[in-house]
Amino acid sequence: MARVTQLDSRLDTALFATCVFLAIVAHGLPAHMRDPIAGTMRRTLLAPLVGLQRNAELSRAAWLAHESNTRVRDSLALQAMRVVSLEGENASLRRLLGLGHELRWGFIPAEALHSGAVGDEYTLTLSAGTRSGVRPFSPVVAPGGLVGMVQTADPRMSIAIMWTHPDFRVSAMATDKTAFGIVQAHQGSDADRYLLELRGVPVRSDVKKGTLIVSSGLGGVFPKGIPIGTVIDTLKSDGYARKYLLRPAVLPPDVLSVMILQPQRAAGGVEPVWAGTIAQADSIARAAAALDSVTASRARAANAPAPAAPTTATTVAASPPLTAADSAAARAANPDSVAAVAAARAARRARRDSLRADSVRRAARADSVRRATADTARPRADSAVPLPVPPPSTPTTPPLDR
Amino acid sequence: MSWRTLRPVIAFVLLVVLHYTLRPVLGWRTSIDFLVIALLIASVRMRPGLAALLGFAMGLVADSLSVGAFGSAALAMSVVGFTASWLRAIVFAENLALHAAFFFAGKWLFDIVFLIIERRLKGFELITQLFIWSPITAMVTALAGILVLILMRPMLETQSA
Repeated sequence: MARVTQLDSRLDTALFATCVFLAIVAHGLPAHMRDPIAGTMRRTLLAPLVGLQRNAELSRAAWLAHESNTRVRDSLALQAMRVVSLEGENASLRRLLGLGHELRWGFIPAEALHSGAVGDEYTLTLSAGTRSGVRPFSPVVAPGGLVGMVQTADPRMSIAIMWTHPDFRVSAMATDKTAFGIVQAHQGSDADRYLLELRGVPVRSDVKKGTLIVSSGLGGVFPKGIPIGTVIDTLKSDGYARKYLLRPAVLPPDVLSVMILQPQRAAGGVEPVWAGTIAQADSIARAAAALDSVTASRARAANAPAPAAPTTATTVAASPPLTAADSAAARAANPDSVAAVAAARAARRARRDSLRADSVRRAARADSVRRATADTARPRADSAVPLPVPPPSTPTTPPLDR
Repeated sequence: MSWRTLRPVIAFVLLVVLHYTLRPVLGWRTSIDFLVIALLIASVRMRPGLAALLGFAMGLVADSLSVGAFGSAALAMSVVGFTASWLRAIVFAENLALHAAFFFAGKWLFDIVFLIIERRLKGFELITQLFIWSPITAMVTALAGILVLILMRPMLETQSA
């Protein structure tokens, strides 16, 4: 038994020694001999393992590529988001440059910082102070229009109240100077939070929706002609004065850079600066009014009963002044305004179509009346007395109420 | 071949396959050496001479599929297999810590022999590899070995009992 064990032990040692010897020989083989051996093993015995290893490495490479692609996509998305904000900022700065070009002198550009604190959302911190020439009560404007007024000025910075401040007031008027009043913040919540009110407008002054309201220059702080907002609705009147709801020309969250007007610049007037904006708003308002009147007249024409045939001529004769008036109103708004001209043309075309339809309808009705008259005028077999015949020219429907 | 004998063989083949599938996918610097785990598990179930022969064969396979020096892994595996077979008494003890130490020592021994024979690394680089990276790799391999033993207990316990 001991001999067998000893023999086995010697056999194990011999095998181990052989393995070590062969490994050392393999290690000592020159490259031109061992590479073919390794290559042959890879192509034959180890082919499945080579395939497994290659597939695993390809999987890992694909996974890494996917991760890399995800990272690239994420970074691209981030950059794209940044590009949008940069484009917005760029456009805002371009508009500010345009405003500076229009103002020409007497203004101080400043960065506007929103504190965002509760109870402090009505104020702006401006990056310019008395050293730059800022004084309290200086108007603060943006390319869109009025932002607010400087309340406190320190050497290097200043605090301004925005129009959203409950104490903010500005004397205002319609651009056609038909209505004057005081603009203040509309104390609403949620969607109405950033709206304005035009108060104290005399009852006799009716301000249409879409009318641009600008500063009137009567208060002494704000020069005349700074856009404040656009009339969007009529509020319940208090006594002898009307109240209107305005959509602001400048939304507070959009204010990032502003211009502070120096006192001498404010005194010099800024009317030409926003003249283009005012003219554009006027033409849009007039075109909207013209479209409103066309829509109303079409609705009336559709609802009113059609008159008899002879009234067609009357209607046609009466219509040109209305069409001409609409067109003239639209053209008067701004001769260069393509929108106004297009609106007037559309109105004229719509009115012409409406009149044509009315004429056809009325002619058909007159024919039917005539046929009915002829039927009733024919002597009946059971009656020798002829029935009275109404005159064919009698209108069966009242004329259109214009 | 009975089912009892076949089960460790299946476990062995499975570990070899894992070495060439899971290891490249993980791509860790301190990667798990499933070949050493397979060799150690197999060695304790056979005579030292056969274990050395198995190690030599596995080493040749590893050498053929890597860019390293041909024969280095064969020599290292032969040494590890032969030694592990002589130390089978340790592995028969049902103690996870002893098993872990066995795997750790086996992997580290393999790395020492392989790196010395390979003669690719020298000086500080060799010392760093031998005493920092190799122990860490051996530790990871030991943990993986323990995990394999736990997961494959139904396949391995009959033979070891």
